[in-house]
Amino acid sequence: MGKLILLIEDDARLGEQIAARLRREGFEVVWRTEGSLLDPRELDDVALVILDLLLPGTGGLDILREVRAHTDTPFLILSARDDSHDKVRALRLGADDYMTKPFWPDELVERVRARLRRPAISWGDAINVGALRIDLAEHRVEVDDATVELTRVEFEFLAALARKPGVVRTRSWLTEHVLDPDGDATERALDAHVSRLRKKLGPAVRIETVWGIGYRLAAGGGR
Amino acid sequence: MRLRRRLAVATVTVAVAMIVALLSIDLRSRHAEGATRLIANLERLLANPGEQARCEADPAAWAPPRRPEPRGQPILRPPPGPDGREVPPPPPPLDPQLRLIELFVLDGDLRPAHPGGVQLDRELVRELAGTDAIALPTSWSGGGTGVVVKTPWRVGPCAYVYARGQLRVATSQVPLKWPWLLPLAGVIGAVLITMGPVVRRIRRLTEAVTASAAAGFVGEIPVEGGDEIAGLARSFAEASRAVRAQLSATEQREAVLRDFLASTTHDVMIPLTVLQVHLAAMEEDEQAGKPRSGTTLTSAMDEAHYLGALMQNLAAVARLDTGVWQPAIGTVDLNALVHRVVSRHQAISRRLDIAVEFAVPDDPVTAAGDITLLEQAVSNIVYNAVRHNRAGGHVAVVLEATAGDRFSLRVVDDGPGIPADELARLVERGFRGNAARTRSPDGLGLGLNIALRVAELHHLDLRFGPSEYGGLQVDLEGARIGGLAPQ
Repeated sequence: MGKLILLIEDDARLGEQIAARLRREGFEVVWRTEGSLLDPRELDDVALVILDLLLPGTGGLDILREVRAHTDTPFLILSARDDSHDKVRALRLGADDYMTKPFWPDELVERVRARLRRPAISWGDAINVGALRIDLAEHRVEVDDATVELTRVEFEFLAALARKPGVVRTRSWLTEHVLDPDGDATERALDAHVSRLRKKLGPAVRIETVWGIGYRLAAGGGR
Repeated sequence: MRLRRRLAVATVTVAVAMIVALLSIDLRSRHAEGATRLIANLERLLANPGEQARCEADPAAWAPPRRPEPRGQPILRPPPGPDGREVPPPPPPLDPQLRLIELFVLDGDLRPAHPGGVQLDRELVRELAGTDAIALPTSWSGGGTGVVVKTPWRVGPCAYVYARGQLRVATSQVPLKWPWLLPLAGVIGAVLITMGPVVRRIRRLTEAVTASAAAGFVGEIPVEGGDEIAGLARSFAEASRAVRAQLSATEQREAVLRDFLASTTHDVMIPLTVLQVHLAAMEEDEQAGKPRSGTTLTSAMDEAHYLGALMQNLAAVARLDTGVWQPAIGTVDLNALVHRVVSRHQAISRRLDIAVEFAVPDDPVTAAGDITLLEQAVSNIVYNAVRHNRAGGHVAVVLEATAGDRFSLRVVDDGPGIPADELARLVERGFRGNAARTRSPDGLGLGLNIALRVAELHHLDLRFGPSEYGGLQVDLEGARIGGLAPQ
């Protein structure tokens, strides 16, 4: 069963479309059309609340204000009003994100996923991303339980990406933080390191080149 | 009431009031002097040694002696006594300046000895208890000045003397003669004559202001002289200029609004029409049993996305164009902002086969600004890179914290390039160039114009240049602030 999302949206057509799309994406959705104060206990099992601001009954900001102090459940605000005051108030009241209408369903799903995305699993000094396991203390890298020998620069490069899988690191940042400043600290040298690293890691670990920016480790690791 | 008439009435009223006040003071002064002299004369008369006997002999007929006739015979000189004793010297005559109107004696109970005498009020008796003589109030004394004097012996039928008299020679402090009114008449005349030109100038000023207002404050209001009326005219002229400027600004705003409305309608209608055409084409394909065209569907979605962006731009322009709107400046998390913008456009860019990627620093980069306007500006820059790209194209958005507490936001694409001579005009509203990118009939080019205006409002540097990949590179730089963003 997918994560539970509480949708509070008074518009019948929009609410139905959002709920249907989220269900297709594997989420469990509870949809309410009326604005009423939330009991913090009913949010215990809720992974995320999608909250419209203009609601019949209690307004979205009032709902958020009353419940925010009693729950850590993330709130994603939906609003048809593209007004800074509303956004700032919502964020100050503890909203985690907001979206203004109109929006694409893809965008909503992406924002929901981003809000629910778990950080890379790390156990002490170890990072696990798919088939990749990095022991930061021992400076050891394993792919599918097989040790891969890496140079210091290759190890630092891979660790930098693996700390935030799916997040792009710029070439300039990697050049500055990974390459040896006393050596050939150029972006061309960085590309050469990446090329060698890819060969060592094999297809199980996918290091993606992001056009115009730099590199990232695929969120699932590779396959 | 007209100003001139009002001034005349006011002048006359003040003059009459002053005359009455002066006359009153003069009357009181003469009354007091008459009383003093009358009392002094009576006291001198009553101090005469034989005066008690003379009075008590015939109280009703007692009177001061008259002044000696020119022939030298006093009227009331008593004849020599039958016993041959020497007759006391006659009492001193009254002050020749005094004209005695009424005189009679009263006994201890204030009963007059003379049949025509007046019974005095008991109140006067109480007043007389502590003094030898009193002057009667004017109302009591009738014409002239009235006094009551205690006789030195204070008993018998001649205990008190009542007298009413008048000074023969006027010692008035106010000359009550008709030439005296001439200066007053002169003052009134001078006031009225002086007011004539003043009133005429005020009338001319009134007519000029009325005419100016009727003509929409187009004409100038004349300013004559340097006095208060000229000051009033200057104030009217300044107010007229201010109203004229306000009217002009309002007319300009209305013209801009009309122009904007007409252009906006055109801008909205074009993509809406394209969208309708796409939908109609899809319907026809479906009715003809043809497979659904992915290209048509994507184009329709593209137009819908463009319409959404356009409406947000119109809202931004409405905020920026209004003279009274104030941005809601706060701390803006630029990392979150970039994430929101990219995710907004990724939905459509994937369908157009254009990759939009972004990178932000680990620590949030924050800046002071209006969250909606900043997001709209960045969104316009990114959407410009998407909208003018082609299938298989790329857009990269990179946010970095740079030295000197500044940030840099770079948007790079590999779409069609723009000649250097057209780069500078890229932010002009409504600019259409010859290059493939600026030939696109996408409305009035609001997006980058808004980005520029938002950048100026936030003191940010916005630069356009060719990207190393052949497309456009847009750099937005500004000051960042420390601390964690609220988002």
